[in-house]
Amino acid sequence: MEEWKPSPPVKPHKKRSWYLAWKYKLMNQRALRKLCQTGAVLFLLVTVIVNIKLILDTRRAAYEEEEESAQDYDDEMLNVEVPRHPVNNKKVLDVEVYSSRSKVYVAVDGTTVLEDEAREQGRGIHVIVLNQATGHVMAKRVFDTYSPHEDEAMVLFLNMVARGRILIFTIKDEGSFHLKETAKNVLKSLGSQVAPFLSWRDMWTFVGKKGGEVYGEKHAKSPALSTWGDPVLLKTEVHLTSVEDAECHWPDTELNRRRRRFCSKVEGYGSVCSCKDPTPIEFNPDPLKDNRVFDVPVAVIAGNRPNYLYRMLRSLLSAQGVNPQMITVFIDGYYEEPMDVVELFGLSGIQHTPISIKNARVSQHYKASLTATFNLFPDAKFAVVLEEDLDISVDFFSFLSQSIHLLEEDDSLYCISAWNDQGYEHTAEDPSLLYRVETMPGLGWVLRKSLYKDELEPKWPTPEKLWDWDMWMRMPEQRKGRECIIPDISRSYHFGIVGLNMNGYFHEAYFKKHKFNTVPNVQLKNVESLRKDNYETEIHRLLGEAEVLDHSKNPCEDSFVPDTEGRVYVMFIRMEQEADFTTWTQLAKCLHIWDLDVRGNHKGLWRLFRKKNHFLVVGVPASPYSSKKPSSVTPIYMEPPAKEEGAVAVPAVAAAEQT
Amino acid sequence: MQKINRNVVLALLSLTSLVFLLFQLCYYKFYLSQKNGAAFSKARGSQSGQDSTRWHVVRKFLGLLSSHNIPVYLIDPLILGLVDKDIEQIRSSPDGPSPECKYFCAPRDFTTFALLDKMWKHDVGLFRTAEKMGFQWLKIINKDPRLDGMDDLSGMEIPLHYIFKLASHAIHLVVFYERSGNFLWHGPLRLKQHMDRKFVPFRKLHFGRYPGAYEKPELLLVSIDDLKVQIPKNPSSFLEEMSHSRFLECRYREARAFFQLYPDDASLDAVEFRKKAKSLLHLAALTLNNLGVKFWLSSGTCLGWYRQCNVIPHSKDVDLGIFIRDYKADIIPAFQKAGLPLKHKFGKVEDSLELSFQGEDDVKLDIFFFYEEDDHIWNGGTQAKSGKKFKYLFPKFTLCWTEFVELKVHVPCETLQYVEANYGPEWKVPVKTWDWKSSPFNVQDNGVWPIDEWDNVIQIY
Repeated sequence: MEEWKPSPPVKPHKKRSWYLAWKYKLMNQRALRKLCQTGAVLFLLVTVIVNIKLILDTRRAAYEEEEESAQDYDDEMLNVEVPRHPVNNKKVLDVEVYSSRSKVYVAVDGTTVLEDEAREQGRGIHVIVLNQATGHVMAKRVFDTYSPHEDEAMVLFLNMVARGRILIFTIKDEGSFHLKETAKNVLKSLGSQVAPFLSWRDMWTFVGKKGGEVYGEKHAKSPALSTWGDPVLLKTEVHLTSVEDAECHWPDTELNRRRRRFCSKVEGYGSVCSCKDPTPIEFNPDPLKDNRVFDVPVAVIAGNRPNYLYRMLRSLLSAQGVNPQMITVFIDGYYEEPMDVVELFGLSGIQHTPISIKNARVSQHYKASLTATFNLFPDAKFAVVLEEDLDISVDFFSFLSQSIHLLEEDDSLYCISAWNDQGYEHTAEDPSLLYRVETMPGLGWVLRKSLYKDELEPKWPTPEKLWDWDMWMRMPEQRKGRECIIPDISRSYHFGIVGLNMNGYFHEAYFKKHKFNTVPNVQLKNVESLRKDNYETEIHRLLGEAEVLDHSKNPCEDSFVPDTEGRVYVMFIRMEQEADFTTWTQLAKCLHIWDLDVRGNHKGLWRLFRKKNHFLVVGVPASPYSSKKPSSVTPIYMEPPAKEEGAVAVPAVAAAEQT
Repeated sequence: MQKINRNVVLALLSLTSLVFLLFQLCYYKFYLSQKNGAAFSKARGSQSGQDSTRWHVVRKFLGLLSSHNIPVYLIDPLILGLVDKDIEQIRSSPDGPSPECKYFCAPRDFTTFALLDKMWKHDVGLFRTAEKMGFQWLKIINKDPRLDGMDDLSGMEIPLHYIFKLASHAIHLVVFYERSGNFLWHGPLRLKQHMDRKFVPFRKLHFGRYPGAYEKPELLLVSIDDLKVQIPKNPSSFLEEMSHSRFLECRYREARAFFQLYPDDASLDAVEFRKKAKSLLHLAALTLNNLGVKFWLSSGTCLGWYRQCNVIPHSKDVDLGIFIRDYKADIIPAFQKAGLPLKHKFGKVEDSLELSFQGEDDVKLDIFFFYEEDDHIWNGGTQAKSGKKFKYLFPKFTLCWTEFVELKVHVPCETLQYVEANYGPEWKVPVKTWDWKSSPFNVQDNGVWPIDEWDNVIQIY
């Protein structure tokens, strides 16, 4: 525009258009003209700027739109989808099975699914069940058929396996000593040629389909009693069927969807996976009227015993007044099968990375489970604590509903437990009767939140202390003289045989004959009398009415108690101080009740039933109830047996705890 | 001719640019209104009457939930804002038919409802019915924060948000969980990689940017626009609460790492101190909440929360912060009434106020008052014997909720800056000997109180 020069004024011309006229007019007003020109230039500039801004803005907006919520709504963790394993379209599985004295293994398509070369372990017949459509391992068991009765367990298991499943057998060390005819016949019916003739220290492998073809069998005979058969290695191929053929045709409901998921993964749960008539997985027991424990969370403490958990949850979900939403199963370890069981029943389960070993591991698992329970249900004042090896009585919640207010109101209470340590078939009688005891039985109990949060949780044994949580809870520092309420007839039944501190013999001796209530809706008797002071009145009333037994007779003999029913009897035993349980332990032993440590006492008094009579035992002179002893009666003293036997019993006490 | 050409070109250019600019402005305005919705749609709503799609979707949704016995309540801030204006009228005529559709007809992308987790059974049937009714739905799940603080527990992931979409409208259902500390919590909305980012415009959601903490609301069943819905009994206080609801989870993973390095003190003394500190904090929170005084965890207590998610056992006191603008004269009598006698009072309301109350056995409750300046916040300290004043500087911060020893309490949202200001970059290392006059990273000398004021500004009981 530098060259721009004002043009000399030109006279208007006729022919010129209006435009030119206007132009010249403008030109005459230089200032105005200049203004117009600058205006136009400015205008251009503004347009350009607005344009650029618009473009930028639109682009940014578009970018944001695309990213949607890049900063705010994306998951922080890069959740890269793990590519799923390509679906195995292969129709044939390569199976390798090895049997020898010290090692067994099974490999399916090159993947080892069983390997056991531990010394002094895993003796007997190993059984693996594969899904015939997917080839997945559905169950793994070992039956020590060198020992008695294990073959019966194996028959039971094999009968539960659905038709069509692939079964793999292999023997480690010895598997024939207690393999009885029935079991051999079952193996024969599966197609084994060798099973009927299996003998001492033979090696054997077998792969077959239940109710169908045999894929292979190998056998090595033991040449002499002192030696084992040569190791055998069976290599064979298994043809897979289609998924549809491997599943049952249950109607398509939510429940059956859960059932299908479960049944295609695991085996050995019997009729729950039966195609024709599957057992229900939802129970809908009658609701309880005025249920005061409906909102109390239930923590089920579990390990890797899925069959136990299955049995336990069935009984729990069948109990009247159960609220499945309040149940959480805490699994100690990342075991799949227990979680499958939990999901089968539509419950929620939480897995816990194991901390520490043995008893301390159990103890840490308890702590984590209890803390989590109160976190998940912050409103709860109590929690019910159950273990996976308990049957739950049909009136379990009714029992708690009637008694829980005591735990809320009476500070002298430590817990309510469903278990009476002394409640055996021959010593428990009255389902409506409750006791106060100074020991903490566990095995289905209610914990007060304040007790846990204020007292137990902060000083819970740390992982390096190999303590049992329940022994720790029973220690005077924790219990502080408080008592638990228990029923005469237990509302739980301890069926676990396999466990940390448990074995078959021990179970038979101390748990098998425990009484278990099966009557629904039991109305508890005089619950108010369980309060601290009322209970003393009640005991005094009982002792006042009790007949003193003949102390010259042997208290172990049946004739010690007259052949009556419904009477109250009392006997006095020697108990020098509070901790003197010499005579009591001997008495407990001969009565075949719990004698491994002292349980069920209340101020030197034990209450149980003999021959359907209420039977009271008072320790004199330690018990405050000693004053009820007529002066003519000499308290019974029973000699402990020779020392060695006593020494054996002591470690057993520890072993008896918490299984 | 040259001149004319130039002029003509210029004029033409101006003209086209004018036209173009107008066009651009129009377009821009249209674009803006589409983006924000608000101004534009309000106009449309009132002009063209109503948008019945939204109303129909909400009605269908409420029907769906009531058929499954799932109680929800309305927490949509825009509707609650409208409802709040007419709350008296709505309360007084709970059943009256409404003459016009006032609340549910303003066209919006979302309507937001809340669901208490414990009120429903995670019933799969709900979603099946929803699908049959034509809803598309999206579930946002994530880890359960109530198990996060626990060593190595892995529970199932829990649903935090649901979105039900029908036609052009979507229902945002926020799931609230009860937490220890007697409050409700909702989770953040985070999309996992495989999720459909375009399912709804997620940015427009009112809930989910951050997790939030709320009191348990009292509900009121009302009928608005001929729909029966539950709303918070006091919508305005709910909206107020919503604006300050951001929740911070404790850094449990870091706390675990801390305890790996410095094992926790499990001695009986530590257990006892923690118990006392916890009950003192509960008592203090109760007292201050009753007075309506907003407070936060400060100093050592805040460090304990941030570093180890627990009370530091060797800290020996409980520290709280309060903005001086929230100061009330009732604070001292209220604490005394609660059984906490005043131990000392330093400073005055205008300057460096600090109160100290005596809790059970030696455990002390220190309350520091914070003064806001343009670019920082500070609190003061006073040495009793010399009358020396100290000043502790902090960068500006806002307050967030958190859960601490079973209590819902405030902490500075910018906790790291706060802790770093106070304890320096080495805050991760436990220090057992601490001098409040020299140890803090942010302490400054602030002169001496004039002697004639001492009686007032240094009071020891």
